[in-house]
Amino acid sequence: MNPHLLTLLIFLPLAAVLLIAFIPAAKKNAYRYIALFTGFLQLILSGGMYYLFHPKGAGVTDARLYQFVDHIPWIRLDMGSLGQLEIDYFVGVDGLSMPFLFLTSLIMLIAVGASWNIQKSTKGYFILLMILNMAVMGVFAALDFFLFYIFYELMLLPLYFLIGIWGGARREYAAMKFFLYTLFGSVFMLLIIVGLYFSVTNPETGAHTFNMLHMMNPANYTPGSVFSAAANHELLGISARLLGFIVLFVAFAIKVPIVPLHTWLPDAHVEAPTPISIILAGILLKVGGYGILRICFSIFPDAAQQSAWWLGLIGVVSIVYGALVALAQRDLKRMIAYSSVSHMGFVLLGIASFTTEGTAGAVFQMISHGFLSAALFFLVGMLYDRVHDRHIYHFRGLASIMPRFTVFVAITFFASLGLPGFSAFIGEVFVIIGAFNAESVNGILPRWMAIAGSLGILLSAAYFLWTLQRMFFGQPRLKGGEEWSKMLVDASPRETFIMVPMLGLALTLGIYPALAFDKINASVLALVELVGNN
Amino acid sequence: MIPLTHFLIVGACLFAIGLYTVMARRNAILVLVGIELMINAAILNLVAFSRYDKTAYGGQAFALFAIVLAAAAVAVALAIILNAYKFYKSVNPEDIRNLKD
Amino acid sequence: MLLPFAGFLLSAALGKRAGNGAVATSAILLSLLAACYAFAQIWNQPPIHIQWHWFTIGEQAFHVGVLLDNMAVMMLVLVSLIALPVHIYSAAYMKGDPGIHRYWTYLSLFCFAMLGLVVADNLLLMYICWELVGFASYLLIGFWFTKDAAVQANKKAFIVNRIGDIGFLIGMALTYSHLGTLDTKALIEAPETLPAPWLTVAGLAFFLGAMAKSAQFPLHVWLPDAMEGPTSVSSLIHAATMVAAGVFLLARIFPVFDATVLLVIATIGTVTAFAAAYFALTQYDIKNILAFSTISQLGFMMVGIGIGMYPVALFHLATHAFFKCLLFLCAGAIIHEMQHAKETYGLDMDPQDIRNMGGLRKHMPLTFTAMLIASLALAGFPFTGGYLSKDALIVHTFEWAALQSGAAKLIPYVLVAVSMLTSFYILRLLAKVFFGSLSIRSVKKDIRIHEAPMRMLGPMLFLAGCSLFPLFSVNPLNDSYVWLMQGLTSPVSTLPPLRLLHLAIPVLTTGVTCIVAGVAWQWYVNGKYPLKGGGKFYRLSEHQGYLDALYDAAVVRPVVRLSQLLLWVDHYIIDGMVNGLSALGRSFAAVAAWVDQRLVDGIVRLIGKIAWGLGNVFRRLQNGRLQHYFATLFFIILVILLYHIVVLL
Repeated sequence: MNPHLLTLLIFLPLAAVLLIAFIPAAKKNAYRYIALFTGFLQLILSGGMYYLFHPKGAGVTDARLYQFVDHIPWIRLDMGSLGQLEIDYFVGVDGLSMPFLFLTSLIMLIAVGASWNIQKSTKGYFILLMILNMAVMGVFAALDFFLFYIFYELMLLPLYFLIGIWGGARREYAAMKFFLYTLFGSVFMLLIIVGLYFSVTNPETGAHTFNMLHMMNPANYTPGSVFSAAANHELLGISARLLGFIVLFVAFAIKVPIVPLHTWLPDAHVEAPTPISIILAGILLKVGGYGILRICFSIFPDAAQQSAWWLGLIGVVSIVYGALVALAQRDLKRMIAYSSVSHMGFVLLGIASFTTEGTAGAVFQMISHGFLSAALFFLVGMLYDRVHDRHIYHFRGLASIMPRFTVFVAITFFASLGLPGFSAFIGEVFVIIGAFNAESVNGILPRWMAIAGSLGILLSAAYFLWTLQRMFFGQPRLKGGEEWSKMLVDASPRETFIMVPMLGLALTLGIYPALAFDKINASVLALVELVGNN
Repeated sequence: MIPLTHFLIVGACLFAIGLYTVMARRNAILVLVGIELMINAAILNLVAFSRYDKTAYGGQAFALFAIVLAAAAVAVALAIILNAYKFYKSVNPEDIRNLKD
Repeated sequence: MLLPFAGFLLSAALGKRAGNGAVATSAILLSLLAACYAFAQIWNQPPIHIQWHWFTIGEQAFHVGVLLDNMAVMMLVLVSLIALPVHIYSAAYMKGDPGIHRYWTYLSLFCFAMLGLVVADNLLLMYICWELVGFASYLLIGFWFTKDAAVQANKKAFIVNRIGDIGFLIGMALTYSHLGTLDTKALIEAPETLPAPWLTVAGLAFFLGAMAKSAQFPLHVWLPDAMEGPTSVSSLIHAATMVAAGVFLLARIFPVFDATVLLVIATIGTVTAFAAAYFALTQYDIKNILAFSTISQLGFMMVGIGIGMYPVALFHLATHAFFKCLLFLCAGAIIHEMQHAKETYGLDMDPQDIRNMGGLRKHMPLTFTAMLIASLALAGFPFTGGYLSKDALIVHTFEWAALQSGAAKLIPYVLVAVSMLTSFYILRLLAKVFFGSLSIRSVKKDIRIHEAPMRMLGPMLFLAGCSLFPLFSVNPLNDSYVWLMQGLTSPVSTLPPLRLLHLAIPVLTTGVTCIVAGVAWQWYVNGKYPLKGGGKFYRLSEHQGYLDALYDAAVVRPVVRLSQLLLWVDHYIIDGMVNGLSALGRSFAAVAAWVDQRLVDGIVRLIGKIAWGLGNVFRRLQNGRLQHYFATLFFIILVILLYHIVVLL
């Protein structure tokens, strides 16, 4: 009896879209409640799946170890001499994707909560939001490369509109930049997908397939094909497999984002409306990290090992560069955007270390950064909603005016900079420990990378505390003077209701990280073993 | 006997004159005259060639036909010109240009 | 340990209603009782080690555990014992402050973290408590958050502490990668598993952590600024406990340090002790003097560890905790009264400036007594606990130096000099504050200063009693009987004793103290100050070695400028590349558009034009002219005939 929970989770928002589309525009409120209700359902579903998820489900390369699997043959087209086109609807979760599904449903729910006051074209807005919801869920669950690509591209479209229509002053520029930049990466990914398709055969049917799990098994490659490990073709002077890895890596690295491919992020985050920033920072960046783990590392583990040093270097550069640039910002939202770049650098460093601690730390950091950055952007949004100004130098001494808000901000800032007791600490500590360990375990990353990475901890303390001191403490002095004082009401019940679970979750995971680690351990071990054996 | 060629040349001359008259005269009646001349040139040709048909005198019979037809054509043409003159107030074919593009 | 945490949670939950601090105080009282009980059970007994599984990464399990051995229970009792009087004192000191409920919350959080630190059995847990202690310190230093100076101070404190945290983290990572575990016990028992260069690095890394937390030179700059917090906070955190955390860490993982690292520790400790004492000589703010005194004494403790005698260091830590806490509490009482006077009489003065005080002995006799005892303990006068620990330290240093070579031999002499400086500055403090006449009287004639309230005095007197010798040893003059040290001594740390020194040093220091007392009396009480006020050395001391300015110029400004530079790079170069690419794309698009419009479309249009042109030409045929039609007709027939004739021929 297969309750098809995963399919239900993915396509529930689609039902919501249909519902919203058919309700006349007069009843604006209905859209919000439908979205909210969908969000709740998804949360319950994914929470239930998380709870039911068996910790031994390592997955990664073995189809039998994936859970909640739905494998339905979708397109079987006989193309004559080109063979049989085989695209399946193949979804499943393992330890890597399960936490992200839960994170997605949580962040989406929070985004709906943050969208409560959208006035312009609410119907279109919520339809696009639900499509995005579906696409992101699909990305994390898809195990067929073509299906993955469909969902991946499907993510971009609603975001373009959501940023471009409901965004800030330079929204068209930001939306265009984001869309084209990400598309640039994924277009080349399509080439590699096709290349892989022609290189891999399904052991059961003998036809070429897009099934990712088959691509992970070197035995499935037809000898002499482009990406076969044995043949070791060369394209443009470098090994074909390495080229494939690099192209795929670039596509996901744009999403992570790494320095120097990060410049879309500040513009997109700043110009997007608050709920979209929450989704961007909370989930979309994780798609990049997840893609690297699931696709680049699992399909091209040999190339991954070759490039580990460079990956580590990129990670360290991202950490330090992102933190330094964040220090120099004058716009609060931009500062938080750059802090996201810095924190995702930790993820890359952890992944590059190829140790269990590092990889597990990286996944944990992704999860923790998900709701912490959502919390951060939500707080910025709260301030912006009131006075429509985010400039750090325009505010002083907010603690006396908005005490509860200050408490939230202080807790979130300290949680983000890695104070123990919160989840970010665990993630960052284990990334650094893993990176350190890398030299003794597999000799991949030199120790100085880990030390440079730990500089990031210092710098994040610097810019967060500076902002905290600058904006919240001291005597109150606002650019807008009296007018602003009146507009700056403290946190409303809705906002408190949204902030408390996020911070509570950060605290819970910080105190009891086993909640997450138990689920991801088996997969991380399997992944590390897969890469280590090459 | 007069060689055939002479008749033919005369016929050609007549035809040419008739052609010229049709093409270059500014009076419709004169255009008719030209047409008549061309027809008569053809009739002359016919008669010239009838010398070789002593049994049926086909050429001469055909010539008689042609004369009648010419007369009929002239009658009709004159009627048209008269009507056209009533409408356009001019017999100059240059003035009738309504079918110009 | 969990009780203060419960206290913290309860205070946070109760919010404003926890104003009287009963929750926090009762929590700490219960903790103290529990600590004493544990002490009684564990002291000189085999240690207890309990672990609970916390989480697993991959296949490595991490635990939360409690390790109770002599060191741990001693610290437990010490921390709770100091915290309890401070709690009681705070109730009076902070009375009327609008944010007092926050104060109790933060104080309980701090106690929780500190107690957790001392009983933690693995490095990860220790690090967590270490950072939480720093966080609580941040909250408490910036307690009066509307004061700019306070806010700058707590930011500075946290960031400098973070530098140390990086060190701790690196040490931790090194340990993990070589030992595979973070248990301190495992680390103590088998430090040799770390290969040689990494062992030194790890030792230095851990020391870096301790340097920041225990305010060693040059990472001490946060401590004087931390005096912006309430005085009771300064007494608990920045005198007795948090700053001791660094020393505790080093003592706990002592077997990790090899000879190089130990030498480094001793050297830096000495430098710290000297520099801080030097700076303390000319400070005017009463709390600053005490802050530098703390730094200096911490330097002493570090030297104690550096020479290998960590039990002595811990012993000094214990005695220092008592008298320094007392010093701060007295200072707090004085400041409280001066503040009161300021408000009552409308004066414009800094209540912490000792130049405004004087002759307080007559007005606050009990405070004076307590402070006198504490000062004597600090200076190392006989019959106090401080005497025992400090002189033990100096003696052992001489013993150690005898085995060393080179510059290391200087260390004990420097320490002796420092203790002379110590006597000087503390007696200067006493003289200026308690003797002579009240300088603010010169402004207004009828100022009356009151004695401190009982709630403040009680704890102060209690601590004064603890500073005296009976707590530590039966024999006031000889350190071999100190039962605390006997409990802590480990086989690692023994040095061949030099009998003579055990007598010579105490005599020397005591003698110097008396001389200094006389000098101080002469200079400060009688006003005969021989040295010029603005001399170079004086100014160097007063401005704390210009270290803050140095840091600002050498570290802070460059970092800020670097970040702005990178921002520029990011905006113009990297983003410029992206925008440049888009501009390139757009220019390509413009070229393509031009090509499309002119060339491609041009061809299409050309075809159209040709068609039109041809049509135009043929249109001429339709001119409505009859004769023209006729001519054309004839012409074409002629052409056809000719064609036929020509072809058929």
